[in-house]
Amino acid sequence: MGIKGLLRDRAYLLELFSIANLAFLAVDIYSAHLVNDFAHWAEWVPFYFSLIAPLFLLPTVWIRNVKGRWSRPAGLLVGGCSILVGVAGLFFHLESQFFTLQTLASLVYTAPFFAPLSYTGIGFLLLLNRMVDHDADEWRVWVILLSMGGFVGNFALSVCDHAQNGFFYWEEWIPVIASAFATSFLFVLATRIRDRGFIRLTLWVMALQALVGLVGFWLHLSANLAADGLRLDDFIYGAPSFAPLLFVDLALLAVIGVLKA
Amino acid sequence: MSFKSVFVAVVLAVAMISAALIINLNRPSHETDYPDAASIRATGKCAECHRRETSAVVHQFEASKHARLGVSCFDCHKPLENQEKLEHRGFSITADVTAANCAACHPTQYDQFVKSRHGAPAWSAVAGGQDFTAEQIAFSEQYHPGAVDRGPNQLALAEGAGAIEKGCAVCHQIGRPNADGSIGSCTECHSRHQTSLALAREPTTCGSCHMGPDHSQLEIFEESKHGVLFASQRFHMDLDADPDTLTTAQMPIPTCATCHMSGLEGMKVTHDVTERLSYWLFAAVSDKRPHWLRGQAEMKELCLKCHTKGPVDTFYAEAEVVVEATNAKVLEAKKIVSDLRAEGLLTPEPFDEPIEFLYFDFWHYFGRTAKHGAFMGGADYVQWHGNYELLFKLAELKEMAADLRERHGN
Repeated sequence: MGIKGLLRDRAYLLELFSIANLAFLAVDIYSAHLVNDFAHWAEWVPFYFSLIAPLFLLPTVWIRNVKGRWSRPAGLLVGGCSILVGVAGLFFHLESQFFTLQTLASLVYTAPFFAPLSYTGIGFLLLLNRMVDHDADEWRVWVILLSMGGFVGNFALSVCDHAQNGFFYWEEWIPVIASAFATSFLFVLATRIRDRGFIRLTLWVMALQALVGLVGFWLHLSANLAADGLRLDDFIYGAPSFAPLLFVDLALLAVIGVLKA
Repeated sequence: MSFKSVFVAVVLAVAMISAALIINLNRPSHETDYPDAASIRATGKCAECHRRETSAVVHQFEASKHARLGVSCFDCHKPLENQEKLEHRGFSITADVTAANCAACHPTQYDQFVKSRHGAPAWSAVAGGQDFTAEQIAFSEQYHPGAVDRGPNQLALAEGAGAIEKGCAVCHQIGRPNADGSIGSCTECHSRHQTSLALAREPTTCGSCHMGPDHSQLEIFEESKHGVLFASQRFHMDLDADPDTLTTAQMPIPTCATCHMSGLEGMKVTHDVTERLSYWLFAAVSDKRPHWLRGQAEMKELCLKCHTKGPVDTFYAEAEVVVEATNAKVLEAKKIVSDLRAEGLLTPEPFDEPIEFLYFDFWHYFGRTAKHGAFMGGADYVQWHGNYELLFKLAELKEMAADLRERHGN
């Protein structure tokens, strides 16, 4: 199958996207939870889940049918578990500070409460791929809405994470602005799924998101490299290097959503 | 492409951005008004972890005036020049917060403290002057001649390392030199994270060191009318009151800090706890301090907040009689021991013969107790724990001296 064939198989693309994200989260979770040395046993749950769950979905990649005899229940199971892991993660993260002291400051300095919802998002993508016909507009709308949900998370995370620094550097507003535009454009797009002109405009907005993500990745990386010498601690406790790549990732998801059948 | 789609998308985006901007602008300045990003992050990030690890320090800090004023963890833990940096979970901090960190915001208090007996003399009383720089010794010697430029304490040396670290040093570290060039530790009285004013005004805080037979100030205070009144009325007192505007309405009963440090009703606050003293009461033979007249005048000014001049003068005159009488008794005891040494009946080493311990107890326990009791209104300590013991121990000293001479055929 060539690139063109792959691009036409939206369900398969979405499946690859979901599996790749689920697997990559193992790396992301590991580095994120190193910050507090996996102090709570539950911090290992998403790590092992991300290591094991993609294995259940590998046959789907092989047979290229998300609704096959094996791949449908496997995807529903992994998707359902992924949703649970994400929602539980949200509460565990808030418990780190916000449930102790319900203030705006503790919401800012609690563990990133929106981050675990990436599991929920992936879970819904896996369910969607099996429960909705990928040729229908409904499928596209849901993919776009889930991408929008991701950008809402990006907006919240960008605001909260950078508020921890008090937006000390003006560049820290860029992802806030970018994710706000991504959210609003995808929201409107979900209601105007056949507006080709608006789709093109949204694709440009998504291209900008990808650019913001890459620039953010570089800025985070260079901030960590700027410290005296190359130290692992700077990557663990410094600016989260992978976080800005979520902009690229979600832009890709949105593109999958607007691809023609 | 419809205009409506673009319009809605742009308005929605602008609304989200505006909301973020407005919330951020309304953030309290004490969370964001810092010269670097790490300091801002520290206003909340430290507590996020420490609520789970060493959670009590977070609660202690939250109860502090520092927290109410918006001081952050990093304000005190930020490493100063000459302080060792500890890389701690994304922050470069000093784990060893010294008087230098406190002095960054409280320079006057530190300047007063470092001139006091709580400064270098406290540490050198155990370790001698060896841990101090020449400049530090010269500085302290101006205020406490002979108290820092001296050798280690002979009794502490005889007792050995364990006794020093877990015993003497625990109190005397209030004046220990720090690696950053500062002297002392403010947290000895104010505690670490609560940085409490009330705690420093509690008699038990001073009493955690100023107690026991060698300097029984806490016990004397508790016996005195001041102590009895404090015990019964402490809950009507505002121990957290601002030192600069402290009134007798807020603290009608004095604690140690009231008399020795407080700026009661317009008086100057001082962290030089020796400023209002007139005698070297801790010495074997107590002489007047160089600035005793000024010190006594300041202390009497404070007494006058509660007492009239006549009783205050009488109190001082009677206490001075006790000092003179004790000096005479100590000099008599001292002569007994020095005569024995001159006669070759004692070894040159200190603390290796019973009579040396007896003499040490004589002035160090009972002599001091009698004098402190007299100046702090502790009648029982002047008499039974002081003069009675002096009389008894003097008889013992004389008998031991006679025995020694007899044993050596003199």
